[in-house]
Amino acid sequence: MPAFLHAQELYVSTEPASNMAANSFGFRVTNRFFKMEHEGVTGMRIEPELMWGISKKLMVHVVGLASNQMQPSLRFEGGSVYAKYRFLSNDDVQSHFRMAAYVKGSVINNPFVPVMREGAVKPYDNQELDLEGGASGFSGGIIATQLIHKLAVSATVGYNRFLNNTKDNLPDYLSDNAVNYSLSAGYLLLPRSYRSYDQTNLNIYVEFLGKANTDAVSRNQYLDVAPAIQLIFNSSTRLDFSYRTELFGDMSRNVFNTFTLRFEHNIFNISTKRK
Amino acid sequence: MSIAAFTIYLSDYKLQIMKSFLAIIFLAIGLQTSSSAQIKKASLQAAGLTCAMCSRATMEALKTLPFVDKIDTDLNNTTFLLSFKPGANVNIDEIKAKVEDAGFSVGKLVLTASFDKVAVEKDAHIKYAGATFHFINAKNQVLSGDQQITVIDKDFVSAKQFKKFSTQTTMPCYQTGVMASCCKMEGHSAPERIYHVTI
Repeated sequence: MPAFLHAQELYVSTEPASNMAANSFGFRVTNRFFKMEHEGVTGMRIEPELMWGISKKLMVHVVGLASNQMQPSLRFEGGSVYAKYRFLSNDDVQSHFRMAAYVKGSVINNPFVPVMREGAVKPYDNQELDLEGGASGFSGGIIATQLIHKLAVSATVGYNRFLNNTKDNLPDYLSDNAVNYSLSAGYLLLPRSYRSYDQTNLNIYVEFLGKANTDAVSRNQYLDVAPAIQLIFNSSTRLDFSYRTELFGDMSRNVFNTFTLRFEHNIFNISTKRK
Repeated sequence: MSIAAFTIYLSDYKLQIMKSFLAIIFLAIGLQTSSSAQIKKASLQAAGLTCAMCSRATMEALKTLPFVDKIDTDLNNTTFLLSFKPGANVNIDEIKAKVEDAGFSVGKLVLTASFDKVAVEKDAHIKYAGATFHFINAKNQVLSGDQQITVIDKDFVSAKQFKKFSTQTTMPCYQTGVMASCCKMEGHSAPERIYHVTI
């Protein structure tokens, strides 16, 4: 009967419209591994992240970024701040519908073109920018999440504006503006029936992630698919695995495939003063 | 019997009277406590929950309520069984606020409360354990012992159910949860919170 329990919206590549609990605190470490086309080698990025539920409607994330994408050794690249405000919540015992608005700002110190290493197999050809290490800038958008029986489906539409990085100017041949969109679905596989908070949960997800550059100088787009599996221990600790790859597109990219490994832990009731 | 012995006998008698008198007082206090009106337990079904993590966040939030003694969970039905501390004043709105802070809402809240011959009737206001209850659609009856009452105010039931209940009563106080022109103000100058309940 309680089918609503089986739907999962703790997406790996996107955020649901639901917020974390007020007065709770979480931290994440996300590790991404990706094949860099120009060199044919695997790059990596480490993203430590702090999350805070300020109220039932507002939560923020602060992210730090370090990567070896633009130079041979791992280096601190900058960070971002993300805030999400839930403005609509319709709960029913077997379903819910929520909507939220988000904004994100990113400050990055990276060149837009990497230091070419000995033995680069291809010229560097990349028209994709992002706020996760690629460029400084900001984004904003709307998220809607709906629970339909056993399925939690979420959609995001957002606008991104890329700016100069702290030391390097945004090249003219890259689009300053991009639209991102996503459609995500989640499903709980295990346990079949809940008895306690100690039971480990196993969730599976599939997410479609699209981006379109909108400037005339580089008008192109892609759609990626990112399946994921997730383990939740003790109802408070998460371990996510996700693989992202392109379905179709005409955007030149230096990275087409990304493997993501994420650890997350949540602490509830960081302060009990509030009643 | 000597005078001295009589005095001792008298004081002993006095002591005994004193003892039984004290016993009666304590008994009275004891009876008072056990028969005093209190909300003992609540069964709370949370709505909008999707995962064990969310359910745990809700439980941890409910745990911080000062009047909550113990929480049992029925995870399959996302229902929390709250036991309240004996003698504690239970604030029903605070329970709702905690669930909402955790990101969810109250789908159903059934209170178990002990009554000592309390007469209720349709749309009667009953002062009870520091709260005022408005009995909707109640038959004329006298409540005794443990009774289950369901809170049906806005945000204590699903939006759909609230709409349904709204069609059954024309009283504006149901829409707001505070005393309105439809209610006898009972000497209150300012509108006071009333919980609309069914039994």
